Amino acid sequence: MLDTAFEALKKFDWGSDLGALAPIEDAVTAAHGKPEARHEVETRLVTALQGELSRDAREYVCRKLAIVGTAACVPGLAPLLVNPESSHMSRFALEQIPAPEAAQALRDALSRASGTVKIGIISSLGARRDAASVPPLGELLQDGDAAIARAAALALGAIGSADSAAVLQRSLQAAGGSPAPIVDALLHCAETLMAANKLTEATAIYQAFAQDNQPRLVRLAANRGLLACASKQA
Amino acid sequence: MKQIKKKPSRRDFLKTTGAAFGVPFIITSAALGNAERPAASDRIVMGGIGIGNMGRGDQGAFLGRRDVQYVALSDVREDVRNKSKANVDGRYRNADCQTYTDFRELLARPDLDAVHIATPDHWHAIMVIEACRNGKDVYCQKPETLTLREGPLMIAAARRYGRVVSGGSQRVLGDYRKYVDPAWAGEFGTIKSINVNVGPLPQLCNLPQEDMGEKIDWDLWLGPAPWAPYNSKRCSGSFSINGSSWRSFSDYSGGGMTDWGAHHFGGATFICDVRDLQPEEVTYFDDKDGKYLAYRYPNGLTIYHNRPHTGNLQIEGTPGEKLPAKPVPVYKGDGEIYGDFIHCVKTRETPFRDIESAVNTAVLAHLGNIAYQLKRSLKWDAARQEFIGDAEANRLTDRARREPWQL
Repeated sequence: MLDTAFEALKKFDWGSDLGALAPIEDAVTAAHGKPEARHEVETRLVTALQGELSRDAREYVCRKLAIVGTAACVPGLAPLLVNPESSHMSRFALEQIPAPEAAQALRDALSRASGTVKIGIISSLGARRDAASVPPLGELLQDGDAAIARAAALALGAIGSADSAAVLQRSLQAAGGSPAPIVDALLHCAETLMAANKLTEATAIYQAFAQDNQPRLVRLAANRGLLACASKQA
Repeated sequence: MKQIKKKPSRRDFLKTTGAAFGVPFIITSAALGNAERPAASDRIVMGGIGIGNMGRGDQGAFLGRRDVQYVALSDVREDVRNKSKANVDGRYRNADCQTYTDFRELLARPDLDAVHIATPDHWHAIMVIEACRNGKDVYCQKPETLTLREGPLMIAAARRYGRVVSGGSQRVLGDYRKYVDPAWAGEFGTIKSINVNVGPLPQLCNLPQEDMGEKIDWDLWLGPAPWAPYNSKRCSGSFSINGSSWRSFSDYSGGGMTDWGAHHFGGATFICDVRDLQPEEVTYFDDKDGKYLAYRYPNGLTIYHNRPHTGNLQIEGTPGEKLPAKPVPVYKGDGEIYGDFIHCVKTRETPFRDIESAVNTAVLAHLGNIAYQLKRSLKWDAARQEFIGDAEANRLTDRARREPWQL
């Protein structure tokens, strides 16, 4: 059954019968808690990925690797990251694979990618809350492409650590204004820091935005944050 | 809401510009308002995103309100934009409604107080969060989320910017009062369980390429979802959940589980007064009677999904027990769920279908979809928003978004 399904995968394309791939789906589900079975299905998926597949079939494989993929499949996924046609579905898997090799592949691709592909990689690093990405993302805050700088800010906000907040604060000082994405990211960081009981760090962020020179929306957000910090401290 | 802002009102603006240009100082009765309609400066200025199907109904509800000025709309379909604009302009007898293909242009307008969103579900989180960043209050159609990770981020954005964000199920209060009222009156005693019958599960969409028979910005329709070729069923907004609309497909929706589940699960959590909670365990059954689920709550309640031989919203109470009655929460303002939202925009109160309870409802559906997909029971840590001891299930709490879209 599984052999037949992997054969069907080779010819699979938009409009093909999805039922023909059901044994692959079943094998992925059944591999839970069974390292050998998991290794086998992952190996078969990676082998399939390295063959000639339609875009649809390749995406199907990435969807399954998002569930069962390990460090072993990263070398098969990484080359797809910088190709606009395959980058998203490569991230579909890599974003979910907890292995540090997956995060490393995303970080490595940052310097090779550009435009929207780069934005996607940035967003995946943010979604993973990848602490090691803070320095490269910090550099991207100065990128000439405003969309990339915005993506980096939001990713640093999602990471939400004291380190990411520090990078954002330095960028804010350098900018000499209050770019909305950096402000939003810092407020996001403050919420995460407050939830982690790092009230001193969170309060410092809020205080900076509670000043009269800030837009009303930001000032109110900062004051709400200060109140929340104070009530948590009490 | 315009009247609480320090900047000049529209009337001030009209006065100053009239004086500056030396034109006769004329303000129409429509702008000044009357007993029937608040002055323009006191109306909630609204726009809408995704105006087909449910969005059309939502637009009609807001457009019909005297305290709303509807000025802008966004949709990826040209014919929807044109028809919706004609609808708005016809109502106001002018040509003022602005249309946008890209919702970001609409959200960037500083004059909007609030927006309603009725796009496919894969857009909701991005749009709601972006609306909050832009200082807008939001009425978002159900189901509000596509993934588990989205909910807390939407709540955080709403709270961060002090926005009123209402979910969109009108049925939670509107349809289930016959169960809610006796339940909150204590007549069932302690409710041990309730059953929700809803489905089907979402399916992967593999429809083939079709010629584009409509003027649609396909890349923007897909947005954060994986790229796929155009197919009219893939993007149909019909209410079908059997494979002929986006509601059926997992890239855009949680299927019937989230679509009708938003109503039924929402009703069940309202009846049992657990709108503020999330379950801690989902038990998966696959026996001679079929597949079904049991969600266990921290307070001991069980919500079943598709329990065999059990009716929808069938309640198992405690015979002989009568609990003290509690007041039933209802809509504020006038005009059902839409009026509740507008009232809260004006007063900054919490709407009946606040984003947090709406998200909690969607969580039930998402947990269920994941349990059915993985064919196993799951333990859920609501505080940490993660599954306990199941790394693979945790991989299904979110999915990478197609570039350049990001939460």
